[in-house]
Amino acid sequence: MIQLENITKSFKKTQVLKNINLTINQGEVVTLIGPSGAGKTTLLRLLNWLEVPDSGRITVGDAHIDASKYSKHDVRRLRGQSSMVFQHYNLFKNKTVLENVTESLVIVSKLNHKEAEEKAVALLKKVGMGDKLHDYPANLSGGQQQRVGIARALAVDPKVMLFDEPTSALDPEWVGEILHLIKQIAAQGMTMILVSHEMRFVRSVASRIIFLENGELVEDSNPKELFENGKSVRTQAFLQKLTYEEE
Amino acid sequence: MGKIFDPVFMIHSFPEVLQALPTTLFIAFMSAVIGLVIAFIVSFIRYANIRILSPLAKVYISFIRGTPDLVQIMLVYYGIPLFLKAINAKFGTAFDVNGVPSIAFAIVALAINAGAYMSETMRSSLLAVDAGQLEACYSVNMTRLQALRRVIVPQAIGIAIPPLSNSLISLIKETSLVFTISIIDIMAQAKIVGSRSFRFFEIYVVVSIIYWVICAIVAFALSKVEVYARRYERKVDK
Ligand SMILES: Nc1ncnc2c1ncn2[C@@H]1O[C@H](COP(=O)(O)OP(=O)(O)OP(=O)(O)O)[C@@H](O)[C@H]1O
Ligand SMILES: [Mg+2]
Repeated sequence: MIQLENITKSFKKTQVLKNINLTINQGEVVTLIGPSGAGKTTLLRLLNWLEVPDSGRITVGDAHIDASKYSKHDVRRLRGQSSMVFQHYNLFKNKTVLENVTESLVIVSKLNHKEAEEKAVALLKKVGMGDKLHDYPANLSGGQQQRVGIARALAVDPKVMLFDEPTSALDPEWVGEILHLIKQIAAQGMTMILVSHEMRFVRSVASRIIFLENGELVEDSNPKELFENGKSVRTQAFLQKLTYEEE
Repeated sequence: MGKIFDPVFMIHSFPEVLQALPTTLFIAFMSAVIGLVIAFIVSFIRYANIRILSPLAKVYISFIRGTPDLVQIMLVYYGIPLFLKAINAKFGTAFDVNGVPSIAFAIVALAINAGAYMSETMRSSLLAVDAGQLEACYSVNMTRLQALRRVIVPQAIGIAIPPLSNSLISLIKETSLVFTISIIDIMAQAKIVGSRSFRFFEIYVVVSIIYWVICAIVAFALSKVEVYARRYERKVDK
């Protein structure tokens, strides 16, 4: 489903991702964890080509792209496979809740207005935003904005959904419901890559946890293994620190 | 005679000065429209950093900023006829150099001037739109052009309107320079009426009131447009 081959990425002189190789199968819910600056966001953004790797190859669904040689067409094909839920929501500020979701349906998927609206309303109802269709993002709470962000990402029928710390900008009162929503989507079999430090949630939703540090994959295992036994010294240290912060 | 300040004369000269108002408004309107078109194109050249054109645009903006408006009007007024003559000589065409009305020179000069300032406003407004907006467009697979048209430009317009409205008001005031190339705008008309009566002060009070009213109306109208363009932003209770 997803394959990264020999991916490297540098910003200026610092190498942020060092020769990453990773395969993810359909239906897996993969969580990326790791210290700040490890390269989690960068790795996620590569899959949507919001960041261009220096070298390596990426496969998502049936799109393949090679960093050394690619066309605009390749980029659009790759982007068409996945969609992103952003840490800071990034809703289209000049569009209403409904328009945020219909936008890509009309402009990219070329549905007519009626079809687009029907699909968008159904999705917005599903995420619990059916009563705010005509509000602008500026007038919504963070939790509400993120629900719209999720509906917008679902609307393009992605094969993979990418979440970059979807709850870290939220007030604690909203975190639970967003996590619950993500869990629902996961339960429907969506392939997901998720950056999150909500360890209880990660533990319950992830089928696989990848620990990233200094641009390298340090550990790749399932939650049970990672939390209970066999974890590397570095992962252990990180998890301990995190647990400490949570308390 | 003998009055130090003659308010009756002043009020009576309004209609005569106002005869030239259509000329002033025409020049202001045409140069604003053309200036906006120039600004739009130049701002995109700079925003998208199109090679060859982008450095040229930079030189253009720097030149306009670095030279007086009056000098620019003179350059256009004397330069375009020379340019037409050169074209005639080179290609055997027969543009009538003397047939170009002065008002066309005025419009061209002011449009080029305003276009430079407004292009910088538009460019910085495009850059002021949060990068996350473009990323969100890409993440739902919009092209760059679609993103610009549907999301980035509409937001940039909201940001650009206050400074653009300053530029447009400056432009209206700069039309008062065109009397120097023998166009009868309200400023030139004022000179004519003034020199006939030797009551220059009264006449310039009249002229200043006319400019003030025009600028106030334009500023008001643009503030309404701004409210509309930013309707999606959060209202802050004061
Ligand atoms: N656009 C950029 N320009 C320069 N450096 C960047 C850029 N984006 C990221 N970096 C650097 O790349 C490194 C990895 O960043 P990244 O955002 O991927 O980390 P992260 O694991 O998501 O961290 P966090 O947990 O804090 O979100 C950091 O050192 C960061 O400073
Ligand atoms: Mg990050």
